[in-house]
Amino acid sequence: MKLKKNWILLFVLMLGLFLAACSSDSSGDEPEEDPEETETDQEEPAEEEEEAASDEPQMGGTITGAMDTAPAGMFNPIFYEEAYETNILDFTHEALLSQNQNLEFEPGLASDWEMSDDQTEVTFTLEEGVTWHDGEPFTADDVVYTYKAISSPGYIEAGGVRTEYVIRLLGYEEFNSGETEEFEGVVAEDDHTVTFKFAEPNVTALKDASFPIIPEHIFGDVPIDEIPEHPASLNAGEVIGTGPFQFTEMLDREQYVLEKNPDYWQSEPYLDRIVWRVVEQSVMLGLLENGEIDFIAEPNGVPAADFETVEGFDHVEIIEQTDFGYQLMGFKINHRTDADVESGTIEPDNWVPNEDMSEQLVRQAMAYAIDRQAIVDNLLHGHGSVINAPIAQQFWAYDESATTAYEYDPEQAKALLDEAGYVDTNDDGFRETPDGEEWVVNLNYPTGNQLREDSAPILGQFLEDVGIQMDVRQPKEMTAYVEDLTNDNSDWDLYLLGWSLGSGDPDPSGLWKSDAAYNYGRWNNPESDQLLQEAMQAPEAFEQEYRAEKYSEWQGVFSEDLPALLLYAQNKIYGFNERLNGVDPMPYSFNNDPHLWWVSE
Amino acid sequence: MYKYIIRRILVFIPMLFALTVIVFTLAQLAPGDALTGQSLADPNVDPEVYEQQREALGLNDPLPVQYWHWVSSAAQGDFGDSLVFNGRTVMDLIEARFANTLYLGLFSLFITIIVSIPIGIYSARRPYSLLDYGATGFGFLGLAIPNFFFGLIAIYFLSIQLGWFPAQGTLSSPGAAGFGSFLDRLHHMVLPGITLGLAGTATYMRYMRSEVLDVLGSDYIRTARAKGMTENSVLYKHTLRNALIPIITLMGFEIGVLLSGAVITEQVFQYPGLGTLFISSVTNRDFPVVMAIALILGVLILIGNLLADIFYSIVDPRIRYD
Repeated sequence: MKLKKNWILLFVLMLGLFLAACSSDSSGDEPEEDPEETETDQEEPAEEEEEAASDEPQMGGTITGAMDTAPAGMFNPIFYEEAYETNILDFTHEALLSQNQNLEFEPGLASDWEMSDDQTEVTFTLEEGVTWHDGEPFTADDVVYTYKAISSPGYIEAGGVRTEYVIRLLGYEEFNSGETEEFEGVVAEDDHTVTFKFAEPNVTALKDASFPIIPEHIFGDVPIDEIPEHPASLNAGEVIGTGPFQFTEMLDREQYVLEKNPDYWQSEPYLDRIVWRVVEQSVMLGLLENGEIDFIAEPNGVPAADFETVEGFDHVEIIEQTDFGYQLMGFKINHRTDADVESGTIEPDNWVPNEDMSEQLVRQAMAYAIDRQAIVDNLLHGHGSVINAPIAQQFWAYDESATTAYEYDPEQAKALLDEAGYVDTNDDGFRETPDGEEWVVNLNYPTGNQLREDSAPILGQFLEDVGIQMDVRQPKEMTAYVEDLTNDNSDWDLYLLGWSLGSGDPDPSGLWKSDAAYNYGRWNNPESDQLLQEAMQAPEAFEQEYRAEKYSEWQGVFSEDLPALLLYAQNKIYGFNERLNGVDPMPYSFNNDPHLWWVSE
Repeated sequence: MYKYIIRRILVFIPMLFALTVIVFTLAQLAPGDALTGQSLADPNVDPEVYEQQREALGLNDPLPVQYWHWVSSAAQGDFGDSLVFNGRTVMDLIEARFANTLYLGLFSLFITIIVSIPIGIYSARRPYSLLDYGATGFGFLGLAIPNFFFGLIAIYFLSIQLGWFPAQGTLSSPGAAGFGSFLDRLHHMVLPGITLGLAGTATYMRYMRSEVLDVLGSDYIRTARAKGMTENSVLYKHTLRNALIPIITLMGFEIGVLLSGAVITEQVFQYPGLGTLFISSVTNRDFPVVMAIALILGVLILIGNLLADIFYSIVDPRIRYD
C-alpha cells in the first residue's frame, strides 16, 4: 500500500512538471514577465543618470562575449588557422604595426620605421619598456625569431600556413630549403632596432611586417615541428604575448578567460577580465537579452535576420559595418584538361573554353538578369551592399566609378542574349544555343552558408525569367564542393562561392590572376594579368596613387569581362550591452584597443 | 559462463577489424581531405602550402599504406595526431569529450530508468485509468518531439525565462574543483539529460507497460495469486523479472546509442561530447579521429550487447551459457 502511494506521488509530480512546462508560455509567464519589465524600466533611467554623472572610465569589471563555435585550440599566432582563435589572439598578441580606420599602417610594437632608398629594407624602432606576460623584456630578437620560425624548413610540414608574410624576405628560399643556416631576412641591429630585408623592392613591406610576434625566450630552443604541441601553444596560462590581456583559464570548447595584463605597455586595461563563452547560435540572442552575455561580435556577429530583435533590446547597442569579403556567382569560362587536373597543373594555355559561358555577352546578360538589390533587401534584410568590383570597399583601391553597375534590367539581358544569338527557336519557352541546340545552364553551390543556399534557387529563377533553361543542382557539402571546384574538368557552368579578404593589402591577384589556383572560373584575360602585375611593380607601385589608378583600370576590365557576378558584401552586425563602453571597432575587427574598454555598473 | 564470455570477446577481434576496414574505406570514399576545406578560409594562403602539408601528412600515399600505418599504430594504442586540430593527439581530443559524453549518457539513462519503469508498471496495473492515458499521451508526445526542439523550448523557459538551469556547457567556470563543481556539473546536465532521455523514457514506458500486462495475464501469475501470495510479492518476485528481459535487450543497444546519438542534444546545449566531435571530424575529413571514435563506439556496443546477454542469465535462470 505504501509503495502504491509512492507511485502515485511520483506520477503526480511528473505530470505537474509536465503541465508546468506546457502552461508557462501562456498563463504562468505573464505575471512573471511584467515585474521583470518594470524592473528594467526602472533601472534604465537610473543607469542613464549614472552614466551622465560619470563618463569617466572606471577600473574593474568582467564582460562576457559569445562566439558560436569553439576555437580549435591553437593559441600560437604562427600556427593558428581559424577566425575563432583570433578572438583570443587579438587580445594576447601584438604585431609591430596595426592598421587604422583608413587601413593605413600605424605604430604598434614599433614606434617608428624608415624605408631605405632602394625600397628593399625597412628599419623599425621598437617601443621600449614592453614586457611579455611573464615579465621578460620584449626585444628585437623576438621579432627576428618570429620571422625566422615562419621561414624555417619544416614550418609548413608542421602545419603552418603563414608563409605569405616571409616569402619576399631576403634569402628566404635558401634558408627554407636548408641550404644555409643563416637567416638574413630580419636582422636585429640592437635591442630595439630591427631591419627587414627583402629580396626585391617590396610594395607590401609594411603588411609583411605586421605579423604578431611570439616570444623567443619560450620557443627559441623548441624544434619547429614540436611547437604546435608545446604547452605554450595550447594551454591557458602558458600562452605568452605582449597584449593587454593574458589568456589565463580555459574550459576546452566552452569558456576562454582573458585576464588583464596590469603591466601593459600602452596603459593598464580598465577591465579585469573578458570571458568568451561558446554559445549555440539559436540561444545567443536570449542570453544577450537577459544579460548573461555582453557582446556578440567576431567572427559572425548577429545574423541579419535577427537585427530587429536585437534592436528591440533596450540595453543593447548595435554597430554595423561592411565586412571584408563578398559572395559571388562565378562563370566557369574555361575548364582544365583531364591531364592538367591529374597532374595539378594550372596552365592557361591548355585550357578548354567552356562553350556559352566563355561568351562575354552571355555573362553580361546574366548579370543584368539578376536583381541583386532585391537579394540584399530580402535575404540580407538590407544589411549588405551590392558591389561590382572584387576589392573590399574599405580600401583606397576600390573604385565603383570604373565599373559597370549592371542594374537589374531583364530587357537588356534579353537583348544581349538575342545579340549573342541565343534565341528561342522551337517555342519551348527557353533559348537555344546559336547552333540551335538545347541550352541548359547548371548552377552549383555548397552547403554551409544559409544565405548562400537560399540565394541559389532565386538566382535560378531570375535567369529562367529571361529564357535561360536552368539546372539548379543539389547543394554539395563544402569539402566535396571545393574538390569539384578545383578539379574542374567537369561540366560546371555557374558556381557560388564566398571569399573573405584580408585587410592588409587590396591586391586581388591571388584570386583573379589567370594562373592563380583560386581563380576557379579559369578566367584568362591578358589585360587583367598585365594590370595586376603593373600594380605591384616597383618602383612606381610605391606611389599609392599609381596603384590606385592601375586597380581602377583593372576593376573596369573585371567588370566588363565579368569572370564572376559579385552578388553582395554582407554587413557585420555587432551587438553589445550598453554597460560596455569605449568600444571602437576597426573596419576589419571589433577587437580593437580592448585595454580602453570599460564597464559602467 | 566464463568460457562463453571469453569466446565472445575473441569474436570481437575480427569484428573490430572488419569495422576499421569498413570505416576507413567509407571515409576515404568521401571526396576531398582534411586540407581541402581549409583552403577556402584564407585566400592569402598559397594552395601550394596545403600540397606540401598533404605530402608531409602522408595523405598522398596509397590507401593500403595509409591503412597499414593507421592500424599498426592503433594496435599499439596510438591513434596518431588529429589532422585538423594541429598539435593535438586523437586520444587527447577524445579523452575530455568521452568523459562528458559518458556522464551525460549515464545521467540520462538514470532518468530514463527511474521515470519509465515505475510509470510503466503503474500503467500496466491500472490500465485504461486516467493516469495510464496520461502516461500514454506523454509517451507519444515524448517520441514525437524532435530533440532539438524540446531542447530549445527547455532552454527558453527553464533557463532564459526562469533562470533555473544553465543553458549551455558543462560547468559555470573553468578551474572549479571539489564537490561544488560536481553539483555544478549535475546542474548543467539536467536539461541536456532530460532532452536526451525523453525519447528513451517514452519507449521504455510503453515497453514496460505491455510486458507487465502480458506477464500479469499469464498462468503462473494466476497460480501465484491463487496460492495466496501478496500482490507486491506477485509483482516483484514473478512479474517484474520476466517483464524486464526485453528491456535489458534494449538497454544493451542503448549504451551505444547514448554515446553516439547525442549529436543534436550536444549541439543545442553546446555540450562538448563525442557526438559533435564525430560529426565535425567527418565533415572536416579528420580521419584519425573518425576512425578512433568509430572503433571506441564499436567496442562499447559489443560490450553493451555482451552485458545484456549476461544479465539475461541473471534475470532468467532458464538461460544458461556454456
